[in-house]
Amino acid sequence: MTKQLLMGNQAFAHAALEAGVRVVAGYPGTPSSELVETVAHLHEKGAAQGVHVEWSTNEKAALELAAGAAYCGARALFTCKQVGLNVASDALMSLNYVGVKGGAVLFVADDPGPISSQTEQDTRRFASFAKVPVLDPATPEQGFAMMQVAFDLSERYRTPVIVRPTTRICHASTFFDVADQTQARALPEEGFEPDPRWIIFPRRAYLGHGEINDRLKDMAHDFAHDEQFVQFNTMFEGGTSGRSDRAGTPRLGIVAGGVSAAYVQDALSELERRAQKANVSLPVYRFWQVGTPYPFPEDLATSFAAGLERVIVFEELDSVLEDEMLMHAGRTHASYEVLGKYTHDTRDRGENDLDDTLLRLANYLGVDALVGCMSMSEEQESLMAKVPIRPPVLCAGCPHRGSFYAIKRALGKTEAVLCGDIGCYTLGNAAPLEAIDTCLCMGAGITMAQGFSVVEPHKKQVAFVGDSTFFASGLTGVANAVYNGHDITICVLDNSTTAMTGSQPHPGTGVTLMGEHRPPISIEAVLRALGVKCIEHADPLNLEESLAAAQNALNYAGPAALIFKSPCIQIVKPGVPVEIDTEACTGCKKCITEIGCPGIGFDPQARGAKSKERGQAFIDPTLCNGCNLCWQVCPFDAIAPSAPLDTQQTEQSTPVSVHESAVKEARND
Amino acid sequence: MINILLAGVGGQGTVLAAKVLAQAAQDKGWSVRTAETIGMAQRGGNVVSHVRMGNEGESVLSPLIAHKSADLIIAFEPGEAARVLPYLAPGGLLVSATSALQPVTAALSKKPYSAVDMLEGIKRALAQTSAELVCVDDAALCAEAKTRKVLNTILLSAALSCANVNLSLNDLRAAIQACVKPRFVDMNLAAIDIVEAASAKE
Repeated sequence: MTKQLLMGNQAFAHAALEAGVRVVAGYPGTPSSELVETVAHLHEKGAAQGVHVEWSTNEKAALELAAGAAYCGARALFTCKQVGLNVASDALMSLNYVGVKGGAVLFVADDPGPISSQTEQDTRRFASFAKVPVLDPATPEQGFAMMQVAFDLSERYRTPVIVRPTTRICHASTFFDVADQTQARALPEEGFEPDPRWIIFPRRAYLGHGEINDRLKDMAHDFAHDEQFVQFNTMFEGGTSGRSDRAGTPRLGIVAGGVSAAYVQDALSELERRAQKANVSLPVYRFWQVGTPYPFPEDLATSFAAGLERVIVFEELDSVLEDEMLMHAGRTHASYEVLGKYTHDTRDRGENDLDDTLLRLANYLGVDALVGCMSMSEEQESLMAKVPIRPPVLCAGCPHRGSFYAIKRALGKTEAVLCGDIGCYTLGNAAPLEAIDTCLCMGAGITMAQGFSVVEPHKKQVAFVGDSTFFASGLTGVANAVYNGHDITICVLDNSTTAMTGSQPHPGTGVTLMGEHRPPISIEAVLRALGVKCIEHADPLNLEESLAAAQNALNYAGPAALIFKSPCIQIVKPGVPVEIDTEACTGCKKCITEIGCPGIGFDPQARGAKSKERGQAFIDPTLCNGCNLCWQVCPFDAIAPSAPLDTQQTEQSTPVSVHESAVKEARND
Repeated sequence: MINILLAGVGGQGTVLAAKVLAQAAQDKGWSVRTAETIGMAQRGGNVVSHVRMGNEGESVLSPLIAHKSADLIIAFEPGEAARVLPYLAPGGLLVSATSALQPVTAALSKKPYSAVDMLEGIKRALAQTSAELVCVDDAALCAEAKTRKVLNTILLSAALSCANVNLSLNDLRAAIQACVKPRFVDMNLAAIDIVEAASAKE
């Protein structure tokens, strides 16, 4: 055993390996990606024996692969972010009816806020919809314990099990004792046993539904009485009841789930501390963390609710626990009142936090005076108004910038709809590029463009798709465009990695997490095989070449493709920064207003022969990596290129080991 | 409880700095928890890392620091220092780098972005309070170290030199040796020496 500082996701990987997981498959997505990366890292080091780990093409592929492994009796783990479960949901719904043999755990990370996602959907809700049990940790330590018992639970009831942490659990770090070596659990001798129950048929589904209903009842009982699960459903009383002058049984109850349970417990400690200091007493209250929200542990709810007059519920995303408490009150004809999202007593969306929880709890417990003034001073407020917004942007030197710029330039005044997709390149929406009109979900750009082309054929329809997204969910859209003859231009932004989520390999890189290299799947060959006749190529950092290719693709009647190929700057060595020639810079700002690179700033105080009082652009050499796009944009030759374009491109063309960057420790970040 | 907030721009190295602080706390036998901004916001957006240490044996559950309760804020950029000011505890210490990173939004707008304005604004906001601002000439110190890769270590060293959080530069040295990749250790230790020498001169 070694004590290590681990991020939640890293710890969950250790937990699964210690539980003997044999097959781990997922698709990257914040905040879930580090789990698979950690398993890959430990496998590469030789610390995780007997495990197969992979980035699958998409979530559906990953879950189906995990299901096959579990049918053989192997412990299998699937990982994704919350919206990834939408992609895998077809498999999940039937898998629950069929059941599993080896433990099958779905690690699905939710993202309240949302911080890096397109929805605030709640996987606890998905679990009850799919009738699959779900565990919901309040801390990384609890998540670690849950990952281990999830496999036992799965095997005990032959059910898939979801473990659902949220961003603040996944990306919080603390110290863990973890095993130095792990070994995948031995497979049952008989292996996969053919049986009609593995084949989903209407009759089988009817029987399966009954099995599901029975086991949900049993699991709800286990969650309330089996110590293995009761540990996740902590209940305690506080306030003056904690002292010798116990003032009766509590009338006030507090229910919390997920990280909100941590906020509530910290806020209660803080209030107790302040109350003691101010010599006031807190009313007695009863707290309950629900770590096993579905199936809901009714028996615990009954003990919790005994004698209560009011219950307040703290949870993020949906009102899952609030609904359960309301149903419990109805079922038991109890008279307690439930406060939460419906009653506007807690936040109805976004993240909870300690500040908000403290305020609301103080109010609920009738001790508002214990929470001092949280407002800002006048000076602070006027300062806040001046702080510039700093949204995420495409990195300095990002090849996507060149792709977007070329398309915009090639289109000129031509009316067009630019359909974006999920990835770093969604950031192409920002000023000054403003090269994205839509973004819906993975792979939607290509297919949505076809809808636009049907209704608005007088406009050009352009779809942008990244290389990883292309393989994950772009292929069906391309086939549809060819089959139905839609006049669209598909721009594949091929940067040789899954950039947004931290540089994971994918089918187009040929690199796998098991350390094997095989020939990458060629995007061009795929497009050709699907029947795309016009396929253009360009280096997005070569403006002239990109403009010509864009013209050709846009002018083609019918589905056309343009592959912009240049590696993500996160996986190549940075080049030499460009320099501004202060004698030549006129201060026209074109380099800024055309391409909006974070490596270029503007100094209104700078003076030069040509710029007079206008000020001048400047290069931040710590950010600029010498992509030379600005040099090609500057109309006054006021930017000195970092190296002649030809030589630089060949130097940059080979990405450094994509696999090496799989675990991001490599960077000084 | 010691709450330390690190604020900067994606890519500046706040995540590693938080890790080093967590290691230092662990070496003291304290419980510790950190939380990071990872994902989309990292691409040049503003990022914060929260480090919470139970230095009096208390347990730490929430990963996030509440407003007005950071004992120490280490800001990697003046505008980011201003942005997280609401987190500073009464009597807390704010240590800020002085070099600005101009956001694209500011370069595009007619109103220029001035780091000096930000720092002046912070001084004004703190004037009536017992909280304190310490500015670190990160450009000069990084120039001396010959790399901006050590910006995080330089700011950590500067902060621990003047903050009252029971962590010394030697604690920092030990933590860096324990959790920074071996090939980067010497570079970071040298950065600590540079800050130590600079503060001795003052």
